[in-house]
Order: sequence, then C-alpha cells, then structure tokens
Amino acid sequence: MASTSRGDSLPKVQCPNHPEAQLVEDYRAGDMICPECGLVVGDRVIDVGSEWRTFTNEKATKDPSRVGDAQNPLLNGGDLTTMISKGTGAASFDEFGNSKYQNRRTMSSSDRAMLNAFKEISTMADRINLPRNIIDRTNNLFKQVYEQKSLKGRSNDAIASACLYIACRQEGVPRTFKEICAVSRISKKEIGRCFKLILKALETSVDLITTGDFMSRFCSNLGLPKQVQMAATYIARKAVELDLVPGRSPISVAAAAIYMASQASAEKKTQKEIGDIAGVADVTIRQSYRLIYPRAADLFPPDFKFDTPVDKLPQL
Amino acid sequence: MDEEASLENYFDHTLGSSDFHFEGDLGLQGSAPQLQDSSFLSSLTSREKDLTEDLDLSFLPDELSTQDEPPQAENDSRNEDSGVYTDGPPRDSTEGDTDTMNLACPLDLKSIALQARNAEYNPKRFAAVIMRIREPRTTALIFSSGKMVCTGAKSEEQSRLAARKYARVVQKLGFPAKFLDFKIQNMVGSCDVCFPIRLEGLVLTHQQFSSYEPELFPGLIYRMVKPRIVLLIFVSGKVVLTGAKERAEIYEAFENIYPILKGFRKQ
Repeated sequence: MASTSRGDSLPKVQCPNHPEAQLVEDYRAGDMICPECGLVVGDRVIDVGSEWRTFTNEKATKDPSRVGDAQNPLLNGGDLTTMISKGTGAASFDEFGNSKYQNRRTMSSSDRAMLNAFKEISTMADRINLPRNIIDRTNNLFKQVYEQKSLKGRSNDAIASACLYIACRQEGVPRTFKEICAVSRISKKEIGRCFKLILKALETSVDLITTGDFMSRFCSNLGLPKQVQMAATYIARKAVELDLVPGRSPISVAAAAIYMASQASAEKKTQKEIGDIAGVADVTIRQSYRLIYPRAADLFPPDFKFDTPVDKLPQL
Repeated sequence: MDEEASLENYFDHTLGSSDFHFEGDLGLQGSAPQLQDSSFLSSLTSREKDLTEDLDLSFLPDELSTQDEPPQAENDSRNEDSGVYTDGPPRDSTEGDTDTMNLACPLDLKSIALQARNAEYNPKRFAAVIMRIREPRTTALIFSSGKMVCTGAKSEEQSRLAARKYARVVQKLGFPAKFLDFKIQNMVGSCDVCFPIRLEGLVLTHQQFSSYEPELFPGLIYRMVKPRIVLLIFVSGKVVLTGAKERAEIYEAFENIYPILKGFRKQ
C-alpha cells in the first residue's frame, strides 16, 4: 500500500501541472498530493488506518476490531476460512446452558498438529525469552520437517524441541540441550535423536559450538561483571587453543573458565552455583579446572585485575 | 561348567544334522543382545532393544543401531589387543561378534530358565531367556521360536563355538535342538592410531559423513559409505569400527580412514 510505484499496469495519476512529480500519498485522508503545488490529484484511496482508536485498559475484553489476527501465510497455507466463535450475551445459550451454534469445527484438520506444535514452540521459547526471529526460524524448520514426513513417527513435541535447538544454533546463539530440556517435557536423549534425524532429513548441518557462545548468558545469570566475563571468555579460548582440555565438552570448559575467572576476581562463585547455571555437574567443572589450573598464569588476559593472585587460586 | 566337556562328546555323537547355512537372515530383527559381561564394544550391535534397565547404556551414541532404543554398555573391561606399533598403523583387534542362529524347534522358555544354570527369564520385560556361558565368555538370547542371538565372542570361530555350546545346553535340557542358519550379523573392532586427532577439523571437511556433538557424545561418529561401517573416532586417537559383516570390511574401512586421520593429526 505504501509503495507509490505500482508499475505500468495501472493508469498513473499525475499532477496536471507537474507530470514528473512523484505524488505523495496521504493515507489518512485517502489522497494523493502533488508535492510541488499541493494539488490533490487522486482521492478515495483506500484508507489503511485503523477504524477507531483503541486505548489500553479500556474494556480490553471487547475488541471491536473486525479483522482478527494477522495472517501467517507462510506457515499455514494461507487459508481464509472463518469459524463461528463463542457467543456472547444470553441469546447464544440454549436452555441447558450449552451454547448454540457449537460449530467450531477443525478449521484445517491436516494442519492442526502443526498449529499445536507452533503453540508449543511459542510456549517453550517464551520460557527462555527467545526473540521472534528464532521462533520464526523454528516454525519454518518444523514446517519443513512436518511436510517431509520422514520423522512422522516421532512425537511432535520432540521434533519441536529439536527444531528449537537447531534454530538457536543456526542463529548463532546456541542453547545447550539441557537448557532446551528445561523448557520441554522431552528427555535430552530424545531431543538429541530427533536433532540428528532432522539434520539428516533436511540435509543441513550446524556449526560446532564454541565456549564463547555461552559466556555472556552464563555470566549474566551468575551476576558476574563484564570484566570477569571477558576474562572467562579469554581463558576458555586460550585453553582450547593450547589444547589443555582435549575431548572435553565446550560447556564444561566454559564453566571451568568462569570458575577460574570468578575465583580470581572479587565475585567468587562456587562450583555448585556455576554447575547449576551451566547444567554441568560440579565434578565435571572440577575435572576441567584441574586441567587448566597448571597453566592458569598464561590463560588470564594481560590486563586483568586480580583480586586473588594466580598462585592463590583454589586448587581442587 | 564341568558339563561342557561331557557335552562336547555328547554333541559330537548326537547332533548329526549340523548344516551350516550361511545365507539368509533369520528374521531375528527384533532381538537385542545387551550384556553386562561382554565388553562395551562387542555390545555395539546392529539390532538392539532395551533389555535391562539397570544397564545404563546411554553412554554410547544411538545411531549405531537401526532401532529406536539401543542400549550400550559402559563396561570398560575390554581386553583390547591393539598391537600398537610405534611407526605405522596398528592393527585392529576384533572386539565382538554378534551372530544369530536357528535351533529349529520351539522351546519352552520357562523350563529352560528353571533348569539351566546362568539363565534369566523375565517375560514381563523381555520375551527371551538370557543365558551366559563362561568359555567363551558370551551371552545368548534364546527365543521361544527356537531362534537365538549370541553376543560377546572375540572372534568368528569363538562365536560359532559358543553358539554350538548353547545349542548343546538346550539339547541337554531335552529339546531336539539343531544347529541351523548360523550367520554372523555384526562385527566390532577397535584400534589406536597413536596420535591425537583434531575432530573439529574432521567434522568441517567431512560434514556429510561426520556427526560430532560434544554435548551428546565425546567421539565423532563417521558413517563410511563404502564399506558401510560406522566409526567412532576419539580425540585420543582410538577408533572403534562397527557394523561389519565380514572381517575384511573392518580392515578396509580402517585403511580408508587412516590417511584422513593422519591429515588431522594434532601437532
């Protein structure tokens, strides 16, 4: 609606005095105005503004909007079906208290499962505050998997959780499997299986996780200042570069790095706290910490301010 | 057991028809040999089902199986004869064979479980008798149709011998058991390339074959197309190969992977 260049199919309205001028649309009044002389050239353009002003908290239950929800054509196949909604007022109920006109039939029976899954995805993503782009990506992935039908036997919730995991990875902000488990009813094992199946079905791959992907989240959840977070990121990166922790999961290395950085700063966190946030056992942190402890002096960034010097770091 | 020696003679005299049919699958697709005694490598079989809950076998990855819930043993007692040479690729050691065979007579599992030693039978959990023998150390699943799955042997000959011993045991218990359709279904091998490996590099270049998820499993799962073998490659340089029907497939797969791994050696 906003574009003024509709191509050559429509007769172009022009200002009679200034044929070269690009007309400006005033959508409130439904006019097209010449910017040079101010002549109203075309009128009765369809007004796309809202019909009436709505204020918050003003009888919020009665939404007089007549257009309903925004359409989601990419995902639902763009159906324009309507359905009978629940009645309001006394007349819509018959003598037993049941509502008349109960016809709220399945609007799209084939996509009902998909809509359910979208709702579930939305709920899960909401629990961990994921932004809209990840949710959209997850929905797209789910739609692709669902249409392919190669994973038809699997529980839709499992596929939805796995799609959520993949979407987070693809957007560059990976969540650990345990974090996804925390918001889903599916076990980590099942999510992991579905994850691998989906990657094979969609013939995509994802980047390997690195320690830095999780630093900002874990550190903020622990309430560590930015300096400590930067130090922990540096420590973890250096530890992987120097190959001090071969074969260890990046999450465990990240947790150990956070432990070391926090113990060297004023904000000391226990292994248990870090383990709770990161989803790793505190023995795992201990193991990884033991591996990086000998080279602790090399791992810290050069400009780090030590509250506890390196030789006084706890030795576990 | 001391009966074994006498059973040997008994067997040789009585079991006349031992046709060794090597072809044909037995259709024992659903059974899952998962055993505590055998090394974890030998329990990486091509068909699995969750046998016993107390075996927490979730340590190893699932895709080695064709079924949904493969149990994997965490038991580290592998007698691995890796034969490591300091210069040059070391030999594998065949770790485990799984085979199936047909006893060709319907069996009463309850009586077998009651009479035989080292047999367990829990029909609510699994519909087969789980029998173990000590020499060669193997475990067998014996089904009421007469079909049997035997796992845990260290070589093809041992696997065959073990299967015959089980047939003997069943025969001693009074069933007219025969030894038909012995077929090796899966072979597992392990080896050590003696240098650390950069798994991240390998997964980058061989994306379509590799799957490396440190959160799920510490090893890289490489699915070789020809021969169709699955390899578990670890940072330490240890490699596990499974899914082979023949010994030669394992060797071929190792010959294929070795130059690739050399390219990703950690300096």
